[in-house]
Amino acid sequence: MDGDDVHGTLKLVSKEGDTFEVPIEIAKLSNLVVTTLGEEDIDEDDDDGGVVEIPLPNVKATVLAKVIEYCTHYKMVEPMTPITLPLKSNRISEIVQDWYARFVDVDQTMLFELVTAANFMDIKSLLDLTCLAVSVLIKGKSAEEIRRIFNIGNDFSPDEEVHLRENQS
Amino acid sequence: MSEERPPARADADDRKRRRLLRRRRRFQEMEMEASRRAYSGNGSGGACLPPLPANDDDDCDGGGDNGKGGVNDGGGNGGFRTLFGHPYGVLPYGNIHLSSGGDDVVRRPGLGPLLSALNDEQLLCVLSYVDGKSLGGGVSLASRFLYVMSHHDELWRDVCLRKWGEGGIAVPPPPPPPPNGGRNGDDDNRGGCWRDIYAHNHALELTTSSSTTATTTSPRRTSRSHYNDEDARETRPRRRTTSANTTPRSFLRRHEPIRIAGIYSDVLFRSWLCRSFAFCPSWLEITTVPTLNHADVTIDLFLKEYEERNVPLLIKGASNNWAAMKKWKDVDYLRNVTGDVKFRATSGAAPLPAKFTLDDYLNYCTYATEEAPMYLFDRSFGVSCPELLHDFDNDLSRTCGWWDRNSKHGHDLFGLLGDGRRPDYQWLIVGPVRSGSSFHIDPNCTHAWNAPIIGRKRWIFYPPGVAPPGVYPSPDGDDVCMPISIGEWFLTHWDEHVRRRAHPDPSKRPLECTACPGDVLFVPHGWWHMVLNIGDVNDCASIALTRNYVSSSNLPDVLRFLDTKVGQISGCRDRRGEGAVPPEDLGREFRRALMEALEEKGDEGGEADDDEKKCCDEGLDSRIQRRRGKWAALLEKSEKRAKEGWGCDAWSDLSPTCSGIEATCALNEGIDMMMAVENQRTTTTTPSRSSILARAKRPVFKTRADGGGAVISTPASDGFSFSFL
Repeated sequence: MDGDDVHGTLKLVSKEGDTFEVPIEIAKLSNLVVTTLGEEDIDEDDDDGGVVEIPLPNVKATVLAKVIEYCTHYKMVEPMTPITLPLKSNRISEIVQDWYARFVDVDQTMLFELVTAANFMDIKSLLDLTCLAVSVLIKGKSAEEIRRIFNIGNDFSPDEEVHLRENQS
Repeated sequence: MSEERPPARADADDRKRRRLLRRRRRFQEMEMEASRRAYSGNGSGGACLPPLPANDDDDCDGGGDNGKGGVNDGGGNGGFRTLFGHPYGVLPYGNIHLSSGGDDVVRRPGLGPLLSALNDEQLLCVLSYVDGKSLGGGVSLASRFLYVMSHHDELWRDVCLRKWGEGGIAVPPPPPPPPNGGRNGDDDNRGGCWRDIYAHNHALELTTSSSTTATTTSPRRTSRSHYNDEDARETRPRRRTTSANTTPRSFLRRHEPIRIAGIYSDVLFRSWLCRSFAFCPSWLEITTVPTLNHADVTIDLFLKEYEERNVPLLIKGASNNWAAMKKWKDVDYLRNVTGDVKFRATSGAAPLPAKFTLDDYLNYCTYATEEAPMYLFDRSFGVSCPELLHDFDNDLSRTCGWWDRNSKHGHDLFGLLGDGRRPDYQWLIVGPVRSGSSFHIDPNCTHAWNAPIIGRKRWIFYPPGVAPPGVYPSPDGDDVCMPISIGEWFLTHWDEHVRRRAHPDPSKRPLECTACPGDVLFVPHGWWHMVLNIGDVNDCASIALTRNYVSSSNLPDVLRFLDTKVGQISGCRDRRGEGAVPPEDLGREFRRALMEALEEKGDEGGEADDDEKKCCDEGLDSRIQRRRGKWAALLEKSEKRAKEGWGCDAWSDLSPTCSGIEATCALNEGIDMMMAVENQRTTTTTPSRSSILARAKRPVFKTRADGGGAVISTPASDGFSFSFL
């Protein structure tokens, strides 16, 4: 058995059961991975390809692939500029590097799945980035536009609507 | 004939089975973790609220005043009640089980399929990136759930801090009560104030031309802005300038919250809970801090029994005759004498500091109801507003001679560095009722005195090295983990605190007291302490003064701290460029200043040699031998005690480990332990303290809190280390 290659990786298992083999150093961007590895018995044996498998029941395969892509770029190419408030700009491309700005330029369903995946896997920089991307969808929009984008019904009573308009600053 | 399996094969099967079992367990745990995080009403890892009844504000006993009214019902809910219901009708998440429909009624339809996949903490994270205009516009009008969430006060606070914190946030006074009585008896149950403060400053920004008010259109900085003393020294008109924008004096227009039923969220409810808790009488009852009347305190008594023994002392009536006590009761005097000067306020929960005039800040105090409100802690008031300093400085020296710089025992030694170079040392402290400071140890090993001028303060002390409940310092003291807000501490850790009062070892018990205006409290170095402003009925806010100092009693510890804990030195980092001493040089510069003072005060004249001006300890010894002035004696005494026992007891590091808690105990206790051990080992020789000291250079002593075992070792390479079980 060739020990070196096998030792350096682990397997992430998506909701549907697909396994993704990922170098450990890259996977450790996720705090969930770090704590799970920490709980493993050290005398895990390495015969029969005993690579650690970490199941992620919340995360679909397509989403997991994206998350791994993020982590790989972060570790192998360049880490993301930390997002600090106040924001320098209203445009994501001016806050983080181009690659990361393009990374979140995806359809909304995927974007929200990335938020929950980042939260579940405890990857702070990805969570910040995806929450920022969601906020861009909200900024500057009227109530009607927000309802349309997110499929929200107007559940105010007419009285409440009047009260709200009056209270508007 | 049956075949036996060869042993190797059996082992392999065994391992495989165990591996599969582990894998299955891991999958199960992940499923649980996944469903736990799917909770909408909780943050992904947020601690759960203690069990609480749904707040029935109609039954509230609080009466809506500023906190003296709330009653502890002592019931099964842990005895904590809030004064008001949540202004937007939010209930703790546990109540969802009593509802029919749960999240499907308001939350899910109000967010839509995409947004409702996020939990409340994530939603707040998203909203924190949204600007004020969108937040108050489209977002809050989109649905009932978004209305409530977008009114989360801390969101608005952060918007205000980012836009106007640097230049100063304007806060007008509350509107006068309407002549024919309140609207619906709910005047005290407004939503948080920050949304309205935003609206006010936004309107000011629109109507103000760029030349009058400072920095409303300044470019936003991306890095955390540093408080700059230049601001304090800038000459400004001392009276408010009358401009078209600010006359007539405006009031804060409060928006009316709409109560929305059917929203369950610990994240949204929690900060409301922590800020509106009623004071439980039992929190304020006992006095265990030593207390004396001012008339009974002499310099000798104070120094010997309290300062040198490192014991706190409450001196009743010490500040009764200070000018500040009379003058500052008149709030208009304070507003006028401070004028447009900006003071700095911070909060553990806020991402940035903010500046306010005292007038604006006092107005803020009347509304402030956040979990961790902005707390005014200004270190430059002596320069920016000298009248305030004159109102107490001379009176302090006159009434409390032990805190007089000219006193012969050596007080306020950092002052030898000069005002521009010394670390921060005096603060004006102003805060709303229910604000305060959570557990901390004062910086740089300094002693302190604290004098409330307006409003009472409740103090809880824990001895050096004894971490209070809920407080977890890292072993080297660099980091501390603890609840951010005082309310949270009381809600979660009070019972444990009560147990600690009865600790079998009296030296580990907490001490408590209430300091009233007129009293001055001595806070000895190294003691953990927490302060809660309990206020009085007519107070707008709590106002106090404090100074931190080094005297002969803590000088050895301060010197050691400056040498060994450079990363924890505070009060001089962000004041470079004015001759301020950076932390890494402070130890050396302080020693130099001490030696120069020694030189000046020496009885004998004569110049020192050039090479003697090097500030190293060896030089100090020889200089002491040559010059026997009063300061020489002082320093000699300090150095001697440093060699014998390092003055302060228990530099303690507590770290939870999987096998118990290790504590680093004081050198003296350690030597005792080592002597006991040596006595056991040898029958021929009697160990002496000095011989042990000779071998131990800066030793580290560890003992297990459960009483089992001790490890004593020195980091020096002479290899001395000893352990026994």
